[in-house]
Amino acid sequence: MSATASVKVALQVAEVLESIVSNCLGPEGRLVLCTKPTGEVLLCRDGGRLLEALHLEHPVARMVVSCASRHLKKTGDGAKTFIIYLCHLLRGLDSIIEKGKDSWLPEYVQTQERHWKNCCLWKFVSQILLTFQAQTLDYVVDQCLSKHFLSIFKSSPKEKALCRRSLKSLLEAYFCGRVAKNNHKFLSQLMYDYLFKCMVYESGVEEVLEFVDDCFVELNVGVVGLPVSDSRIIAGLVLQRDFSVYCPVDGDIRIVIVTETIQPLFSVSASECVLNTEEQFQASQSWIMERTKAIMNYLHSQDVKVLLSSVKQPDLVIYYAKLNGISVVECLSSEEISFIQRATGLFPLVLPQTCSQPEIPNTTLVTSCKPLILKSKRYVHLGLISTCLFIPHCIVLCGPVQGVIEQHRDALHGAFKMLRHLFKDLVLSYLTQANNQNDTSSPLLYKDSKERDELQDNGTDSIQRPYSHIPKKNTDKLATVQTHLMVDSDSEIASIALGTYIPCSTPQNTYQTNSILTCSSQMKTEVIDDRALLIESKFTADSATENNRIEMSSESVQATKSVSKGKASSVSSKSVESYCAASISAGCVLPVGGNFEILLHYYLRNYAKKCQKSEETIVSMIIANALLSIPKILYKSRKGNESFPQMYIRTIHALQTHQPVVSTQRGLESVSGKYQLLTSVLQCLAKILTIDLIISIKRQPQKVYDQDSEDEL
Amino acid sequence: MFQLEAKKPSVCESEPLANEGLRATLPVFRGIVTSSYGPTGRLKQLHNGVGGHVCTTSQSTALLRGLLVTHPVLKILTTSISNHVACFSDCGLFVAILCCNLIENLQGINVTPAAIIELNKLLLSLCTRYLSSEACGCRVPVDFSSAHILLCLVRSVITSKPACALSRKEADHISALVLRAFLLTVPEQAGDCITLGKIITVPLKGHKVIDSTVLPGILIEMSDVQLLRLLPTQNSSPLKVALFCASLSGELADTGGGTLVVSYGVCLQRAVLDQLLSLGRQLVSDHVHLVMCQKVIHPSLKQFLSEHRIIAIDRVGGALMEPLSKMTGTQPIGTLGSISPCSYGSVKDLSPAKFGSKQFFHLVPNEVTVSSLLLGGRSDTAWDELKLTCDTALHVLQLTLKEPFVFLGGGCTETHLAAYIRHMTLTEPGSILKNESHSPAELQLIAGAFCRALESLASSLEHDGGGALTDLTYGHFWALPSDSPPLASWPDVLSRCGCGLHGSQEELNWSFLRSPHHPFLPQSSLPPEAAGSARSLTLDCFSAKLNGLRVAVDTANLILDLAYVIEDKN
Repeated sequence: MSATASVKVALQVAEVLESIVSNCLGPEGRLVLCTKPTGEVLLCRDGGRLLEALHLEHPVARMVVSCASRHLKKTGDGAKTFIIYLCHLLRGLDSIIEKGKDSWLPEYVQTQERHWKNCCLWKFVSQILLTFQAQTLDYVVDQCLSKHFLSIFKSSPKEKALCRRSLKSLLEAYFCGRVAKNNHKFLSQLMYDYLFKCMVYESGVEEVLEFVDDCFVELNVGVVGLPVSDSRIIAGLVLQRDFSVYCPVDGDIRIVIVTETIQPLFSVSASECVLNTEEQFQASQSWIMERTKAIMNYLHSQDVKVLLSSVKQPDLVIYYAKLNGISVVECLSSEEISFIQRATGLFPLVLPQTCSQPEIPNTTLVTSCKPLILKSKRYVHLGLISTCLFIPHCIVLCGPVQGVIEQHRDALHGAFKMLRHLFKDLVLSYLTQANNQNDTSSPLLYKDSKERDELQDNGTDSIQRPYSHIPKKNTDKLATVQTHLMVDSDSEIASIALGTYIPCSTPQNTYQTNSILTCSSQMKTEVIDDRALLIESKFTADSATENNRIEMSSESVQATKSVSKGKASSVSSKSVESYCAASISAGCVLPVGGNFEILLHYYLRNYAKKCQKSEETIVSMIIANALLSIPKILYKSRKGNESFPQMYIRTIHALQTHQPVVSTQRGLESVSGKYQLLTSVLQCLAKILTIDLIISIKRQPQKVYDQDSEDEL
Repeated sequence: MFQLEAKKPSVCESEPLANEGLRATLPVFRGIVTSSYGPTGRLKQLHNGVGGHVCTTSQSTALLRGLLVTHPVLKILTTSISNHVACFSDCGLFVAILCCNLIENLQGINVTPAAIIELNKLLLSLCTRYLSSEACGCRVPVDFSSAHILLCLVRSVITSKPACALSRKEADHISALVLRAFLLTVPEQAGDCITLGKIITVPLKGHKVIDSTVLPGILIEMSDVQLLRLLPTQNSSPLKVALFCASLSGELADTGGGTLVVSYGVCLQRAVLDQLLSLGRQLVSDHVHLVMCQKVIHPSLKQFLSEHRIIAIDRVGGALMEPLSKMTGTQPIGTLGSISPCSYGSVKDLSPAKFGSKQFFHLVPNEVTVSSLLLGGRSDTAWDELKLTCDTALHVLQLTLKEPFVFLGGGCTETHLAAYIRHMTLTEPGSILKNESHSPAELQLIAGAFCRALESLASSLEHDGGGALTDLTYGHFWALPSDSPPLASWPDVLSRCGCGLHGSQEELNWSFLRSPHHPFLPQSSLPPEAAGSARSLTLDCFSAKLNGLRVAVDTANLILDLAYVIEDKN
């Protein structure tokens, strides 16, 4: 069975999904109750969970869902927005074709018969989309949008001091879209407190985020039956099991980890034990007993007070542990062991052959080790002393039902992911010329093929020098570092896209220069740094005039200083005369409520007006219009002066007259997250458009393998 | 070979609250919980129709355990109630009824769901602030120097479960027993960290309830023959006790994963038995009087021990191990080798005890940390219900020890709180709304629904067709008997308010709960000591009710916020 895949089908699918997710979007969004086949109930507002719970059958829908989940996994946010963008982009494309405006298509497409014409058409469109995303979008973001960016850091980017208030509003806005209305404030405060409690000092925030994101499962405990507002933060680590033996001790406590039973086994597997007399058996039994006793006594003599074990220890060990005043916790998961290892640098103890070593290796101190009772369940509470930049703390999540706790756990984890992402620079594939940086009205890159060629020459010329110094394998390595560059240079579709788009230029060549260009700019990391600085300083100047809503140290002295610094750096980079990759620097944020969308809409529209190629104009108009869908949904329930049309006109007017854009929203959102979302959507759309037939097969891959193996036998 | 089956698509249903199925089932559920509420609540019989166990109950714990709900929204509701009960034991029906009432009252209101939820939250925080403040008029501090309030609290819990089928005298007896058992668990010396003792409930099914009693120490049931054999000696006290958690049955211990090759003529069992007997010799030389084992003791060892006048009790079971080791101060011994002398403990005395046809072995401790509650009951179902009720009462007492307050029961707290909310929303809407973007009109609309939910919760205590009144001074709840003459004056037909604190002769004004009356600020009642300690009051557990209120509103908010239900059909 096969079905023709077309934009119509994809649009139908996307519209159904959109109608579901749009009800859950934004601060006014509502909850969804999912039941599992096991009978559990789960509450969520998380787009990814929702889409997965639907178990969609339609192949296009499945593809969309997998694309959205992949994006969510990477950035921790934006699955719902993904669907909405996609739906509106498809709608835009569909309506263009409906209207019969295909005169802009190349001639060879128009001469084809109907079905093939469609296929060629969509392939063509998908290629335009990809090139658009790789070149124009990045250009617009870097050149136009960046001047509106605010930062999560206080004004001086060198020190990277976190602005606490902006962080708070960022978190609040995030939780607004993820958890039920009555809990978002509480949770964002909890997360905020947690973050600052875990940090040794503020510049270590990235390591903390990485740690928490990786080990989040171990860092929270769920307690059902209590109201959400009883959730709290506990210093140290909470293990979700009770002591096997508990001997209360005060002061600093020495702990060890073991991963095997302390009592020696009577016989090792895959060996034979020959017993000739009964005495032999008794002797070996008593040796086992003596040996266990000796090890436990040795641990006691070394002042070990707590024994953490990844396996169940026999009764004998428990008995001697109690006699020696050693508390025992058994059956730790390997994740918990590796967490303790990572936080404290404690490695599992290798049981000593002789118990006469003066110093026992692999022990560490904890400040406390107590049972913790959370609503009739007993836990082990360890006050770990951290050896890294992360001070371990646990979150006790309370909720009336398990589903709520799970939702909050997901939301918190997503927030850590989002923050981790925010604190990284995002390098755009668009290359900016260092000496043109201050000129915002610079001629567009790749405006037409002629200019493009020139540019390439220019690029390769200027690159010759640094390139000659770099060993070849180094370039390769650097190219792989830039992951998203791979998307437009490495993937096959993209290179074909380039091939058809500019038939006169050799695509192979462009690809090479591209990577070389970026590599060279990577080599000069200082240049990029300066560039980031420039964005920052621009922003300070901007926000100073804006009666800043965001708490910024508006010390004009510092601001001007950094501006002058930026200028100096741009001068210096001018002397180097090279290209450097534009980037969205770490910590860039914008107010929520569709600010990013309206700004980008405005600039894309302006770009489309200036643009000379008709297909580029159309694509950028479609994207610009699709962007508006988000603010439209967000402002759906507002009335009067606060309604969407009013707000839209106000913002556009402000932009046209170069006035500061005033936002009524207090929350903030990450720019790089939004930008990545848009690129993910465009890539997903391009993927959908290139499919022309959906063939369903009855065979299952597993069965095929089985038959093969039987044949061989 | 395994087969992969494609997952079936889920069913997505929008606006579940407007859905027909839920509209039909939610009132049924509400009917079930409402009719079971309170001391005069109707009993429910749960049975599976094919001759299975029949459960007669009016308690939420038993009710929800037996009730199978299929609609996901109801599932959320019932798990939420069960989770609350698992933490607090009490106030399960309170949560259920309040939550249903809130959902029903708030559903039809023409305010956006977002606004309803936010206003609900504001009202809840108003309630919790008031209820935990000093000014609260429906909260009574607990005076631990007299047992009066605690006894009233226990009695309220026990009388509110009609399925126990207790007479007035029996209820008094059980209340006193439960309180005594609880007081036995409180240690005499208070350190930094107080750990309460344990109470073990011993079933005496088929006996009269009035025969129930509390004994310090642990009772181990055994047959007459065993008992006769075990008790030949009368030693001086205290008696030395050894408690084994390792098996003494003489089986081979875990020999690891390898293969054992045993030469002909070598008997490993004999080797182990030798080990056991040498252990026995050590016990004899250590002058142990009583040996207890969680698992089985080998008959030869038993024989050996009894020859040396040592009492051996085996198959104690895992559940008794912790209280036994706690009471006797022993360390469970996990070795067959040499025993460290510090792992022995002691008991003061042991004696046989006989209750009806059952023989028990009574271990009397030196210091009472563990006590046994022997509970009689006429039938299985009544006993189960009584056991559950006693557990609830004990838990409620523990919670009260942690937070030494009680609420006035019998519906008075609910009506009092409703009166307070009505008053506050009318006089100070600004202080409640703070800077939220809602109008006072919206607040009053939601507060009205909220108060009606509380008031109808109070009036669902009345099941006999009577009327529900409130006085306009204290805001307490008054039940109007259904057989009262229509034209009689109210002080004559009413006797006392729900909690029993106020009498009808105090020159009060009354109004029907459902009829509109002018909002007033309810006054604090007099302290209960002034009302005379002879009078019995109806009281509720403070922490359970406060948490119940929060859980009910939280859950109602969750359910009102639902836009879709996605059901996985796999």
